Amino acid sequence: MSEMVRFLHSGPLAPIKRWGTKWSLWPVHLVTACCGVELAHAYASGYDGERLGSLNYGISRQTNLIIVEGAITRKMARILKMTYEQMPDPKFVMVMGACGLKGGLFWNGYHMVKPSDVVPVDFFIPGCPPTPEAMLRGIRELQEKIWSGEPRNSISFNKIDMLRIGSPRLAPPSPKKIAKTPLVKVNVDRSEKWKEGGIIVKEVSDLLGELASSVTITGRNRICVFVESENAVEVAKRLSRLFDHVKSVNVIDVPHESSFIIEYVFSSYSNKKYMPILLTMASRIDREEAKFPSLAEIFPSADYLEREMHDLFGVWFEGNPGMGVRFLIAPDTPENPLRKDFRLEEEVYTGGDGR
Amino acid sequence: MTGMKEVREMSIEVPVEPPAEYESLFIPVPKEFVEDAYRKDDFIVFIGPQHPGSGHMRIIVRLKGDFIVEAIPDPGYVHRSMEKLAENRLYVQNIPLLERPAIMDFGNYNLGYVRVIEEALDIEVPERAQYLRVLLAELGRIGTHLYDAGILAVFMGHTTGFMWPFAVREFIVEALTHITGARITGSFIIPGGVRRDVDEKVLRMIGRIIFTIENRLEKFERVFIRNPTVVARLKDVGVLTREEAIKYGVVGPFLRASGVEYDVRRVESYEVYDDLDFEIPVGDDGDGYTRFLVRVEEIAQSMSIIRQVIDRIPEGDVISSDIEAISRNDIRGSFYDALAKITLPAGEYTTLTEAARGTLLFSVLSDGASNVPYRLRFVTPGWMYLKGFMESLKGERLADLQAIYGSFGYFPPEADR
Repeated sequence: MSEMVRFLHSGPLAPIKRWGTKWSLWPVHLVTACCGVELAHAYASGYDGERLGSLNYGISRQTNLIIVEGAITRKMARILKMTYEQMPDPKFVMVMGACGLKGGLFWNGYHMVKPSDVVPVDFFIPGCPPTPEAMLRGIRELQEKIWSGEPRNSISFNKIDMLRIGSPRLAPPSPKKIAKTPLVKVNVDRSEKWKEGGIIVKEVSDLLGELASSVTITGRNRICVFVESENAVEVAKRLSRLFDHVKSVNVIDVPHESSFIIEYVFSSYSNKKYMPILLTMASRIDREEAKFPSLAEIFPSADYLEREMHDLFGVWFEGNPGMGVRFLIAPDTPENPLRKDFRLEEEVYTGGDGR
Repeated sequence: MTGMKEVREMSIEVPVEPPAEYESLFIPVPKEFVEDAYRKDDFIVFIGPQHPGSGHMRIIVRLKGDFIVEAIPDPGYVHRSMEKLAENRLYVQNIPLLERPAIMDFGNYNLGYVRVIEEALDIEVPERAQYLRVLLAELGRIGTHLYDAGILAVFMGHTTGFMWPFAVREFIVEALTHITGARITGSFIIPGGVRRDVDEKVLRMIGRIIFTIENRLEKFERVFIRNPTVVARLKDVGVLTREEAIKYGVVGPFLRASGVEYDVRRVESYEVYDDLDFEIPVGDDGDGYTRFLVRVEEIAQSMSIIRQVIDRIPEGDVISSDIEAISRNDIRGSFYDALAKITLPAGEYTTLTEAARGTLLFSVLSDGASNVPYRLRFVTPGWMYLKGFMESLKGERLADLQAIYGSFGYFPPEADR
């Protein structure tokens, strides 16, 4: 077998094989992120990537090229590796976009992986996103490499000696200002923004009665109701007379007060009067024992939102079937990444002398 | 009935151990679920993450014969941790970050986020800038609907149906390039207005582009929209009734296809949508074809909005005078100095925006002292209608899954953020 392979690679027929590979680069459908938009353009009628003998194909076992389109997440990295291993030899990998190169906009995200750590990369196409022209130039370079055996860089950068431009400077300070003990208040009263909101607020407070600790107008068409967590189910049941779906479930981590604020944003599709109104039901729970009754029974639209919050904050929504299982993030991601005590890598600002 | 053999319940002792890959591949369903399916002679089929369509997520479907009895989503393959990143960046730095979920629809994403800042700081936006924002938002809407039509065609194996909308999209991209300088990632809308003015020549060109698109779409209608194969694949599959759509919180055109007249542009109008004439297309059937047709009709409405914008756009400033430090002559140069120090007053601010695929919710909690958000929550349309999408799969045949997937225009980078 190995003799056969050697014959193919260096025998008299080798140029024919290389020629054949060069003009039949089939990228597998592995649309990893937003750069896929430009990839689609590159293969659509505007740019017609097919004229270079390259066309997207669905099944990894019959393709020989992966075009990684931008960001690779931890969850996707495993799939990338599996897809790569399923492909027959010879196979090639190209990476589109800044995210695949060094992380780009998401360089310090907790869920990001560099594709070059996962699979051997032949070519990088920089850009955010790269244009279809750049994408097709990448294909041309890969063909050149297959033909000549030598990878060539199609871009040459000017080298600038930083020290000779100006005198060395100190690194500028970070522009970020972050309060030490931030004031976290979700129900700031802004009733001046919504003068006619009094009627609706009265209706809501009549409906909830004692159950609501406070009903505040937080902006035009925005109401915030604060409740105790043990009353949450009862409040949701009553609110389901006015509202029919949940638009968002939010958790706010307040470590210096040792608590979480849980928010459900209710809205209505069937009740014309309540259509524009967003009612936020907020509740404070203990940070150590983060449990909250699930409202997915009453509002099925809250189901996946609760699972997401469970992933990101570790809040246990009692009654939701998806608890204890990772839903959105990969199994090897750090625990509870959106809590404030999980810190991302900070930016480093460098001055003229690289300090 | 006589003569018919009585059906006996059979029970065969078969090993019901899930395969060894169950552990190593992190299958996100409980082991009991797999065992139960084995016992009941059901199949569990994994669709994706690498599948012949576009965008990847995994759907785990449980089949009885070839009917789907249960669909479990496994999203997160494009979860790029945007909410955490946004907490660590300045308010202005978040503008390009938060448009990345759906870059072909960047106008609406910019608009949603920037309006949070404007609402908190009470910034009045000049009228010309508002018109330009609407122009961007509607161009993005047309572009996104065409993109989804192309992807729907890919899902159904209709290559011509992919080529046509993407050829039309080139015009949209051209218009966006003339306005913003970037093909699909504009980051054009900033607190107080837009980054720079658009001259008369570009507006006239956009008018001509709209005329061309209209002509092309007539042909596209013959090639794809009214194509009997397409109708046969999409009609009566993935039906969501009005009640179900409301219950599962479906958004945007997919909600309207089920007969609910809800459009944020009308319900809680922003920018100049109140002054513009447009209709909200509403369907009745709630099936895959209606979901597609509603979006086709929305393209027509968006084109009419763009024509009105080009006719009515007033002269004037494009950046608010509330933002003083910004220099009118050099907006890009003074941009960072003027906007880097933005600090919102304490409290929570929420805006709703009608993005192309539906309602987009941005909610920012500020502590009043930091110049980064304390918590930024944003829920994209894809994430909101995922539940409805999964429910609509139940009871359908496995072969229709691709058509339903395409009819929802589900875009994983958008849903996972």
